[in-house]
Amino acid sequence: MMHCTMDDLLALRAGEASVWARRHVEDCAVCRTELDSVYQRVAQLKALPALRPPRDRWSIVRDAVRVEQSRRRRTWGVWSLAAAAALAGVLLAPGLGSNGTLHAELSRAKDQSATLEDQLQNYDVDGRVLTGRTAARVADLEDKIAVIDGDLARWGAIKPQTQDAQLVKLWQQRVDLMRQLVNVRVTNARYVGL
Amino acid sequence: MTVALAVPDVLVARAQAGDEAALEALYRAFETPVYNLARRMLRNAEDAEDVLQETFLEVVKSIRDYRGEGYLWGWIRRIAATKALMRIRREQLRATEPLDEDHGKAGMHIGANLDLERAFEHLTDTSRAVVWLHDVEGYTHEEIGELMGKSVSFSKSQLARAHARLRGLLGEGEGARA
Repeated sequence: MMHCTMDDLLALRAGEASVWARRHVEDCAVCRTELDSVYQRVAQLKALPALRPPRDRWSIVRDAVRVEQSRRRRTWGVWSLAAAAALAGVLLAPGLGSNGTLHAELSRAKDQSATLEDQLQNYDVDGRVLTGRTAARVADLEDKIAVIDGDLARWGAIKPQTQDAQLVKLWQQRVDLMRQLVNVRVTNARYVGL
Repeated sequence: MTVALAVPDVLVARAQAGDEAALEALYRAFETPVYNLARRMLRNAEDAEDVLQETFLEVVKSIRDYRGEGYLWGWIRRIAATKALMRIRREQLRATEPLDEDHGKAGMHIGANLDLERAFEHLTDTSRAVVWLHDVEGYTHEEIGELMGKSVSFSKSQLARAHARLRGLLGEGEGARA
């Protein structure tokens, strides 16, 4: 006697079986048992206990979240910085600035900041990996730089025609943070061997 | 394992806005089902952990693109299944094994009377993935074929061969058709 194949049994389970298979399984006790076994196996598979991850990987995901968020903020910050730089250019134009020393200090801080930005741009950030701790440190520094960039961008809205020591201080803080960021990136990152 | 996990819309919205606490809440809600799916599909526990990590890195990166079509678990599960299948394909390419090769572990024979969980582990990577996705997760053969880059009939035949092998490994039906 010809019995159902496994294809037939699975088709019966899916409600897609041939007329022959449907009729056969009604008459054949062996195939009905086989079909029941299929149902039982699937039910047992569904009832297998959930396997839980042996280690917590959230800290790695979280570090990636922070780096990504900082990068987004930095992208925004670069645009803000460009606006701030344009504003500074206006303020430092001949005739507008009243303090020669402030002018020189601001100019120097801007140059240093631009140099450090170039260094960071030329450094292959994506081709290197960071430990979780270093990634957190990078994220922290980038957050602080983003805050300063925001302050510099708002400067134009609050004091569009003035130039004072506070502006110079902000730029100097930015230079200091950029220097730390370059240091961390250069000394603590490693190339991925892919 | 059936997951019927409802996630509040507000939590998803917060995660989409980049709220770290909300992202962690999603991670905590889905880490076990994602790991379980990956572990059942993959032979190696470390690979399953890597899939868990890769899945959530993808979730974090793409959660803004999730538009609420279907359940969030369905969206996350698809990412996890894709990552696990990519890993299977990579391993098969390394080992130069054809995707549909049906090989059992050396020394295994029909009627070994293994329990189902152990018998399941003796299936090929591809068969295991098909059985889990179809029979447990409820994917259709069309969906599995699409995920694997294969045809519907490939998925169906893998499932039939896997069930036949499970039947043999479990020692079921011996002599019934003699």
